[in-house]
Amino acid sequence: MILWFQKFFGRNGLVLSLYMLLVSFIWIVVMFVLPQIFMFDFSFRFNWTQIDPSKIGGPEDVYTLQHYKFLLLGSPNNPDPFNIVDVTVFARTILAAAFVTLFDLILCYPVAYYLAHVAKGGVTRLMMLSLVVPFWINELLRAFAFRILFGEEGTINNILLFLGILSQPIDFVRENIALYTGLGYAYILLMIFPIYNAVESLDRNQIEAARDLGSPWWRIHWRVVIPFAKPGITSGCTMVFMLSAGALALPQIIGGPSSLWFTQIIYQWFNTGSNWPRGSAYAVSLLVICVILVLLFMKIFKVKFGEIGR
Amino acid sequence: MSSAKILRLAISFYIILFFAYLFGPLIVMSITAFNSAGFPRLSPWDCFSTEWFGVLVNDARIMGGFKNSLIIGIAVVFVSVPIGLAGALMLGQLSNRVRPVFYTLTISTILVPGVVLGISTLIFWDRMGMMFNAGYESFFYDGIVLTIIGQSTFISAYTMLVFISRLQRFDPVLEEAALDLGATNIQTFRKILLPFLKPAIGSAAVLAFLASFENYNTTVFTIVTESTLTTVLASKVRYGINPSISALAVIIIGLTLTVAFIHEVLKRREQARGIALKKEGQTPKVKSEPYKVSRKLFRNPVPVMVLLIFVAGLGTAWKARGYNVQQCKIEAFAEKRKMQEELSKKRSSEMKKKLEDQKAASASANTSETKKAAPGTDHYGSIFAPTNLEGQVESDEKKMETPETPKNQYQSIFAPSNLEGQVESQE
Repeated sequence: MILWFQKFFGRNGLVLSLYMLLVSFIWIVVMFVLPQIFMFDFSFRFNWTQIDPSKIGGPEDVYTLQHYKFLLLGSPNNPDPFNIVDVTVFARTILAAAFVTLFDLILCYPVAYYLAHVAKGGVTRLMMLSLVVPFWINELLRAFAFRILFGEEGTINNILLFLGILSQPIDFVRENIALYTGLGYAYILLMIFPIYNAVESLDRNQIEAARDLGSPWWRIHWRVVIPFAKPGITSGCTMVFMLSAGALALPQIIGGPSSLWFTQIIYQWFNTGSNWPRGSAYAVSLLVICVILVLLFMKIFKVKFGEIGR
Repeated sequence: MSSAKILRLAISFYIILFFAYLFGPLIVMSITAFNSAGFPRLSPWDCFSTEWFGVLVNDARIMGGFKNSLIIGIAVVFVSVPIGLAGALMLGQLSNRVRPVFYTLTISTILVPGVVLGISTLIFWDRMGMMFNAGYESFFYDGIVLTIIGQSTFISAYTMLVFISRLQRFDPVLEEAALDLGATNIQTFRKILLPFLKPAIGSAAVLAFLASFENYNTTVFTIVTESTLTTVLASKVRYGINPSISALAVIIIGLTLTVAFIHEVLKRREQARGIALKKEGQTPKVKSEPYKVSRKLFRNPVPVMVLLIFVAGLGTAWKARGYNVQQCKIEAFAEKRKMQEELSKKRSSEMKKKLEDQKAASASANTSETKKAAPGTDHYGSIFAPTNLEGQVESDEKKMETPETPKNQYQSIFAPSNLEGQVESQE
């Protein structure tokens, strides 16, 4: 350890070493890890700020599990065995995020493969650029675009009515179709680029060899390309899953009125509910469950965390 | 051979469909900005107008949020680019045991939901402020400062990834040579490493600014009482929408295309320089041959695209010469009114006919209908009362603003399936 520091300072000089160490420390510890720990700590506290601010730091400022209990069981006079609303919303959020991930994977894999091995030079560049541009446009505006498309008097309904396919407009927003398409849309890029990077490094000769040996195209993908691209696929899926489970803007704007996203409940505890500790408890739960699921997923597919984001 | 052709056709079709999915929503939204109708829509098309841009510019809340977003975006660039650089340099020098931990931690900032980051930042600085007994006007509670910190947490990871991919191509021999020739560490950093990283710094800055500008999940918690463009937009979009937001989208899409264009040109220039350098030293690789061929065809796809858009814009502008929005609006209004009048006329004659029919059929219909409606719903007990019918006419008129809703509802008013639908809608 000391040896490493000696080498480090010797190589970079005092000023640069201090810059690198200090800035990295501030970033990782002060900006990221400590806030997470504080949030974790805060989720076990009573909501004194709202009830009685003078008790903060006093003898009654002790740890409590009440917020986690509330998430699972609801308020003490809740007749049901568990907190049906919040637990259902939680489960639905996770399931829907998984569904969006799968949708994006199926949608993006062919395109990533096409970009990496079929398209050539200029076309690839143009396609890459046109992939990136929608991603740069504000998330809110993208949600707004989907609202115009999927509204009850939206473009899609109008077209379908005009063509005579429908006789009655479909309420895409209530059915959550708008939300799932919007979420899938929002994270296309995060799915394509990791897969593209992985597939691109595959030696074309391997594909040729498989083809020469008489493999049909689907078996080439199943036995050669997909196993090779596994790290890319996993990292793409991880990112899409985490981000869509934690999405807030899209569910707020194009989510069905009767179905909440879990982040919306967290938001409510912070804003209208004025119960920050409970909001943090909910946020911690979301984070922990998502991380466990992702780690499980990686374990099943035997991918290491270090391969993500490359 | 033919099956391969079909496959290729299917793939092309799929790619086209994919890009339609990618751009369709944005194009539709952009077009709605020019429709004078009060609700953003493509059809029915009222009039071509640019009035929504005026509405947008005069919206004080959007403009205030826009200003804050700009400030935050620029600050985030200045915070996250140095952090990302430090992280990337650090990563290269860590021992093999520590590196995965460090990398995992930095990448986690991206993977952790933005909501969680915002909450933890808010709570942390709130507690810090309490610890230092700071007043509410201090920076611990300043929404803009908190937002800059919160966003930089994960945007630094983006910039770090940009630097990592650039550093992978860096030749450390250069650095060693400079050091051997007697340069100090700082000189080496300034004269060797920084110039090499210059394009990456540019990319990272653009990326950081855009990521900050479009962020909502973290911002909505850390902004406290202030507002940014995204938070203003969110509250606007949630409570009633109008095409001024489409107008904003047009502006942002335009800006994004411009930035993408500049970025592309710079990248190309750099690449051309790289190719030229390579030619001096070594023979060009065989692999770059097909790239060159298509380069001629698509040498600059982006300018072509921009030019096309520009020409299209000019064309519309030329066509719109002497075009009066107000006039068109009046005409459209009159047309709509005429259509409504016709509809109501048609409807009332239908009603009359129905009433007559009803009288004739009441004897037979009454028995069967009441039987069906009887269980539980006194709603339909009095279905033939004249007041009831009037109510329906009224509700009908409300719908008239949208003439394309199906009207056959009333032609088969006595069909039992229809009744079920009405029960739902009334509820």
